[in-house]
Amino acid sequence: MPAEDMGKLSEKLRLTFAVSTVVCVLALAISPLKDLRAEWKHYKRWFVKYAQTRPDTKKLLADYTPGIDQVWLPGMNVTDRCTTCHQGITQAGLADASVPQPFRAHPPVPHNVRQWGCTVCHRGQGPATEVAEAHETTLAWEQPILPAHFLQASCGSCHQSDLKESPQLARGRELLTHLNCQGCHKLNNLDRPTLGPDLSSVGYKVTREWIYKWLKEPRTVLDKDGNVTVNGYENEPEPRMPKFRLSEDELKALSGFLSVQKAKPIEKYKINPAVVAAWSKKPDLISQGEVRFRQMMCTTCHSLAVTRAGETKMIGGDIGPELTKVGSKVNDEWLVAWLRDPKSYLEHSNMPRYGWSDEDLYKVSQYVMNTLTDSDLLANVPKLGAASEEEISTGKRLFAEKGCASCHALNGIPPQKEFGPDLTAQGSKNASELEFGKAKIDHNLVSYIQAKLRDPLSVNPAARMPQYNWEQADLDAVTTALLSQTGPAATSALQHLVVTRRETSFQALGAFAEVYERFKCYACHRFNGYGGKLAPDLSFEGSRAQQKWIADFLKNPQTIRPTLILRMPQFNMSDKDASIAAEYFSIAVQNPNVDPQSVGARQFTPAMVFLGKQLYEVKYQCQSCHTIGATGGYVGPNLNNAGNWLTPAWIEAWLRNPQALQPDTIEPRRNFTEEEIRALTAYLLTLRTGTKPLTAAPAIAERGAGR
Amino acid sequence: MKPRLSVVAVLFGGVLCSSMLGGCRKSAGEVKPTDAFGTYDTEPDWNDNTRLMHLGYQESQGKRVFYQYCVWCHADATPAGPSNRSNVTPTPPLMNDGEKLNGESGEYLQNIITLGGSALGKSAMMPPYGKTLSADEITSVIAFTRAIAQPAYQKPGRPGSQYAGKP
Repeated sequence: MPAEDMGKLSEKLRLTFAVSTVVCVLALAISPLKDLRAEWKHYKRWFVKYAQTRPDTKKLLADYTPGIDQVWLPGMNVTDRCTTCHQGITQAGLADASVPQPFRAHPPVPHNVRQWGCTVCHRGQGPATEVAEAHETTLAWEQPILPAHFLQASCGSCHQSDLKESPQLARGRELLTHLNCQGCHKLNNLDRPTLGPDLSSVGYKVTREWIYKWLKEPRTVLDKDGNVTVNGYENEPEPRMPKFRLSEDELKALSGFLSVQKAKPIEKYKINPAVVAAWSKKPDLISQGEVRFRQMMCTTCHSLAVTRAGETKMIGGDIGPELTKVGSKVNDEWLVAWLRDPKSYLEHSNMPRYGWSDEDLYKVSQYVMNTLTDSDLLANVPKLGAASEEEISTGKRLFAEKGCASCHALNGIPPQKEFGPDLTAQGSKNASELEFGKAKIDHNLVSYIQAKLRDPLSVNPAARMPQYNWEQADLDAVTTALLSQTGPAATSALQHLVVTRRETSFQALGAFAEVYERFKCYACHRFNGYGGKLAPDLSFEGSRAQQKWIADFLKNPQTIRPTLILRMPQFNMSDKDASIAAEYFSIAVQNPNVDPQSVGARQFTPAMVFLGKQLYEVKYQCQSCHTIGATGGYVGPNLNNAGNWLTPAWIEAWLRNPQALQPDTIEPRRNFTEEEIRALTAYLLTLRTGTKPLTAAPAIAERGAGR
Repeated sequence: MKPRLSVVAVLFGGVLCSSMLGGCRKSAGEVKPTDAFGTYDTEPDWNDNTRLMHLGYQESQGKRVFYQYCVWCHADATPAGPSNRSNVTPTPPLMNDGEKLNGESGEYLQNIITLGGSALGKSAMMPPYGKTLSADEITSVIAFTRAIAQPAYQKPGRPGSQYAGKP
């Protein structure tokens, strides 16, 4: 190339270079300008304008700075710039709903923003300064803000014990325990789950056809009007047994395998032939059986479908399985053996062992086998016959493969460790760690958890997880509980704040231990935080009730709250068992703050009784909640027999401060003077009208079927 | 020479525009976190069960307290079945009865729950809850009452609309 051309070219180049330099410098000079229009500045300016329209302008703008505000808590790993836009968050004057967001004040909560920041509870991106980046999932910022509906999940990250303020979280944790999610998944901060039935001898209990049907469709169907169509299994909207997607061959193999499980022969019991002979000719055997079934309050734990005015409803409790069609399910010899001694078939059963007489046992079992039936129950099940060797071996393999052993004990098949994924840190996962498959859902953690729970196949066609059937409220509760599983605390300061879950236990001792275990008191009652929630907490029963009353009550329970539908079962308890229990309660199940000696010697005078009656009826109008005679309310217990029922020391302590004895009682604590307390106690102790038993107490069969 | 210059001009203009637009990108489309992230809790309308009322934190705490302590006498149906309302004279108002309760100030309601009916010259059948519930819990019950009131509760004094809306 000639030299002059070179010069020409370089001149062009130089010119281009000069121009582009100017462009770059200009661009660089302009780019800071765009910061002037940053999103957060818009909110800063708006807040000033907004504050000027209010009468309390000066107060609102007292801490105003034009820059970015942040709450910085290095110990907790919190750098929250949320207050840059949410400028009124601690201004009590901006609490009203008419205040536009983002300026509204935070409602009063136990943790304040200045000490805790925002992201500890709400999650989201603390350091972000744009609305979308702070609240939503974007490419660079992965933790979205937690929707308010699931906010209780954040409580659960630190509060491993249940709080009364977070009922949704508590319900979710209860469901995770109830459904034994821990059988397959690793989860933290939960109670020990209750397992499904032991299947080692299931071949004696039900037929192969029934197992086939149960595996195929293990749930009660609710139609669109909320009516229950009973399939003869369970009454809860969410039965514990989920639906596994099994092919016809798998159903045949598994039902075949289970039908040959006969590890421990049932103990056959021959009901006294004289009883059978006497009753089998009487036509009202079945109706008598039903009467006994109801008198014994079987429906406190078991429900039955009842049709009234064309509408089918479940009536009864949900501690045990629903029994509407159980007569078409179980073998009659098994039923008799089970009723006599549930523990001989199922070690961990919550079913108490009743004190049966041969007559009762015969009547009730005949009622169950003849009336609680449905001839169509197994109508769509093919005739299966005896299982072949091949079916049994395939069934055994499937039992392990499908994870059945995680909930059901079966001889020779141990549960697999870590069968499902570890979920202890599921609640802090980023969206990029989740597999959404072809599901058309929002790509965030909440949608993922809900889609997976609702239909496990929707996000992963190869999922082994079975299908559960959720009510929306329970689905949200379980989602909340899973979101609370955020793994170890992010910083040691947070770890220090964790409130650990309290392990509860109650050890009954001596002769009472056997009575306690036989009648399964803990299935409904609570002792020192351990046990069921259906019936009154008995942690201090020995301080509350008189020993004689306890013994009489156990032999023939009469409800003191007449509106309750679920009542204490009639166990046919012997005098000996009742006195062992009453004695144990009076000696060992005591509240240290209720001293029986404090009132024992004191004399209650008629004048005090008169004053107490006046106080009860006029000044404090206790009859709004309590019944004496035939009038009064039924929020609190009936007090007609208070004098025989309650101990004087308990009445006084209770009137002084009910919540000190039973923290969740709704009886309000009043401003009684000591004189008033003594007068009311004197009055209540004069009330000694026992309610008459509904039926004469049946002769207790010491040597009968119940041993 | 000419085409090169025009390329440079286009580039320059582009950079300028994008830098300016970058600044005002977000202020065009507002995100309202309250809409996007829902409310804390809901309560079905007592009179129309297809309708759900949205509750904030305080109101939902009030709902919890209500269903534990107040529901027995201040509602016609309770979690345990029958209501005690008919056993009490004079009949207590339903908790969502706006016609009766909207006219009462928050201070008055706070007092009657804390001190009981007899302290305010009303029926002694309303017991005092000041030693059983905390002041915050009582405030939250009132907030819940306001949220479910039928007809809807209007805050007295300054009309809400005066300060609403953006400049």
